[in-house]
Amino acid sequence: MRGPIEAQMNRSTPGAQNNSSRLTQEPWYLPLADEVRLFEAAYEARLPVLLKGPTGCGKTRFIEHMAWRLYRKIDSPRRRLELPLITVACHEDLSATDLVGRYLLSGDETVWMDGPLTRAVRSGAICYLDEVVEARKDTTVVVHSLTDHRRVLPIEKTGELLDAHPDFLLVISYNPGYQSVLKDLKPSTRQRFVSLDFNYPGIDIEATIIAHEGGVDPSLARRLAVVGEKVRNLREHGFEEGVSTRLLVYAAQLAAGGIEPRRACDVAIARAVTDDAEVQKSIGAIVDVLLP
Amino acid sequence: MPPVTQARSSDHVCFADIHRFLALFAQGLAGRYLHLKLLEQEDASRRNARMTDEASIFLPAQIGHFATAQYNLGAYRIAVLHQLGVWEGTGDFDLHQFLANSSRPVLLRRIFFAIEDLRIDTAMARRYPGARADLARVLAHALANRPAIGSMASLPAWIEALVQFSLGAPRAALVAGDSSGLLDGLLDAAAAVQRMDADVHDSARASLAICAQLENLESANDEQLPAPSLAQATAAMGADCKPDGDFGPFPDDLEHGAALGIEFRGDTTLDKAVWRRSNRPISAATREPPPLAGAMTEQPSGGHQTLPVHSPVAAVPPLENTGPRSFLYDEWDFHRQAYLAAWCRVFEHRLHGEEFGFIEGVRRRHSTLAHQVRRQFGFIKPQSWRRVRRTNDGDELELDGLIEAVIDRRTGHAGDSHLYVRRDRALRDVAAAFLVDMSASTDFALPGSAALTKSAGAATQAAQSGLYLYGSDDDMPDPVSAPKRRVIDVSKDALALMCDALQALGDSYAIYGFSGDGRDNVEFHVAKDFADKLSLRTWGALAAMQPRRSTRMGAAIRHALSKLARETAGIKVLIIVSDGYPEDHDYGADRTDREYGIQDTARALWEVERAGVTDFCVTIDPAGHDYLRRMCKETRYLVIDDVTALPHELTKIYRTLTAR
Repeated sequence: MRGPIEAQMNRSTPGAQNNSSRLTQEPWYLPLADEVRLFEAAYEARLPVLLKGPTGCGKTRFIEHMAWRLYRKIDSPRRRLELPLITVACHEDLSATDLVGRYLLSGDETVWMDGPLTRAVRSGAICYLDEVVEARKDTTVVVHSLTDHRRVLPIEKTGELLDAHPDFLLVISYNPGYQSVLKDLKPSTRQRFVSLDFNYPGIDIEATIIAHEGGVDPSLARRLAVVGEKVRNLREHGFEEGVSTRLLVYAAQLAAGGIEPRRACDVAIARAVTDDAEVQKSIGAIVDVLLP
Repeated sequence: MPPVTQARSSDHVCFADIHRFLALFAQGLAGRYLHLKLLEQEDASRRNARMTDEASIFLPAQIGHFATAQYNLGAYRIAVLHQLGVWEGTGDFDLHQFLANSSRPVLLRRIFFAIEDLRIDTAMARRYPGARADLARVLAHALANRPAIGSMASLPAWIEALVQFSLGAPRAALVAGDSSGLLDGLLDAAAAVQRMDADVHDSARASLAICAQLENLESANDEQLPAPSLAQATAAMGADCKPDGDFGPFPDDLEHGAALGIEFRGDTTLDKAVWRRSNRPISAATREPPPLAGAMTEQPSGGHQTLPVHSPVAAVPPLENTGPRSFLYDEWDFHRQAYLAAWCRVFEHRLHGEEFGFIEGVRRRHSTLAHQVRRQFGFIKPQSWRRVRRTNDGDELELDGLIEAVIDRRTGHAGDSHLYVRRDRALRDVAAAFLVDMSASTDFALPGSAALTKSAGAATQAAQSGLYLYGSDDDMPDPVSAPKRRVIDVSKDALALMCDALQALGDSYAIYGFSGDGRDNVEFHVAKDFADKLSLRTWGALAAMQPRRSTRMGAAIRHALSKLARETAGIKVLIIVSDGYPEDHDYGADRTDREYGIQDTARALWEVERAGVTDFCVTIDPAGHDYLRRMCKETRYLVIDDVTALPHELTKIYRTLTAR
């Protein structure tokens, strides 16, 4: 599947860790293949979904868009849910307790505080574990019982065996490109998910995305998409993933903000993808000949 | 447009200085690696073109036509862009067949070149708008160096007018100088290829139309004029060619591009096009680098795109040896900028020896140094303390644990008794692999090694000057009976001293040797693996290291990396000890091609670095700087002039690399 954009537009994208989104507006997303239909089918069957793809290709935007479609469309029976998407940006210190919840001291009492996963399980939201392989191994094991027919979350501290809300869905993402073998998903985990592959889109679609998200005219957007395609040809020279659509959008946004396009590409593309001065210079030359 | 003036020499841009930049520029735009070569290499390449499958762009050794270095660099870029246009636009066109069907192949060829160049440059200006200024400058320069048309005979004048038109000469001026009235129609036909959707077939059509007009003229002339016929004229344009039919080996143009300032067009359009017809697209030969350590398998790596069968790269030979375990590894083909999948078979051998007392001899030979090394490594041994939290015994209470225990108790859960913080001596978390060159050249006897004096004074002097290998021992061997000491012997001594010291330090370490004979027989000798305990057998294995064959370093490094990758230590180090540049009889298509082995080794070291392993190369080769600086970072290699300094240097290197 060719992929969409994960443009980090602050206006519609939750940014921080353990973020929840009310999704009051429809996140813009350009379907590129059958990923929307596949996701909807997976949701109907409550099949956990794995989103796989390089950085900045549109995984997060896609899940936001799908959450809006499933929870916010006018005919959705789930419109009442306040937080339809609960996102957790995983990191190496993320523990199972961080996901499930913990007791906190409050005055002279102890108070149980649900973690983001438990909140989603109770409320029927989509829980999105972003870059899940970054998390500690025990964390990924916690989700196992939620991803098969049981759909339960055992909470060890409270002794509770929490049945998942019928609307709950677990979605995880990871980027196979830069993960080392040590950080690959265990087969016992990955084989519990339907896997949707994402990649950078072709020039026409990427240009549409850049024009929409970057606020530049279609001509410059297309030039930037071509720059992206050409720069990706150099990815074996130290930046395995090439330049992301997100960075191309950044360059467009800078240009839309009045920065000279070559300079915008310099800071948003050449210097962002590599520290190798000669590769930077070559990218600069590619940009130079491609832009008017 | 800036005036075309001769640049100062400081503004000249040399190919050698910008080779990598231009190669990356071309690769980015073309989506494949293209060889950038000097125009002077073109003749040789032309001869070999059908025997190789390299894709090349030919560029002048330097450009200094223009006023500034930036303009001269721009001219290089235009040369690359134009020749990329040839590859992409003309390459799949069967020019050979096209010309073979013509009754005037030499004439048609000349016309086609001019028209196709016009089309490519026009398309270039559209496709790369940022290059228009450079293109205009380069075309103007080329145009200024063309001969005047006025003094030419009709046919060469028309052809020249087409060439100048392709270089941007104003059409009105060209037509004004043509008394025959024919040129206007020729330029009309040529201008058709400037359309946005024009392709090489349009160039061919335009060339045929122009050629037909000239042939019609010839027919008319034959009836009316005593002037030289078209056949005679075209014969004069290509002295080695017959104007009709057999155009055999292509002649050098009378007006060679390089001589006339249009070297940016490469001047080999025809040969390139013909070549492209007889070879596969180069893109089929390239692929992205595989995932790191993915080749660490006994089978060809799964998921790797392999090279096509008609490449000089054949399938890896079948495994016939049923003895030691073997592993297949990719190799980096610098010329193709692609990995050769499952290209090298590495056989892992266990070294066995019976000289169990080897370490005693080493300690005796290097008593002073052995003592020094142990003392220095003693300094490395962590003296600091670290706080270990959540222990059941310790010097202080752990506050977070205490709070959780209180909460657990209040909520009716069993409390955790691990509520203390203990101060522990920090542990070292290091895994180090030593990879030793066991090539035949390590058999080289050290100068003067058999002629040492036994005098105590000389021994002291030798020790002070670094010749401690022989100088610090009371039991100095008799000069008459002293065996020759070789490079490999010193390497072994150094490693034995390291083992001795590392054992006390507690680091995890392994000692490997490598050699081999061809890509299907790379030898990887294990003297001590990470899991092995230091024992008499280790000393015996170390003593059994002997000079063997070649130095195929890349495969050995990849195998060592695969072993390191299985270690869980926080700090991983790979130290390579060699005595010369990487070489093997089939390390590259050409045995004399040193660059291939160097580049493969550099790539392997890059893989090591990418895996988070610190690499370091120690070379006992005075010429080591020449290739090591291309293989490793400046801070990652050391050239030792005096081989006897190896034990001492190795110790220093190890301390530096692991002291984090």
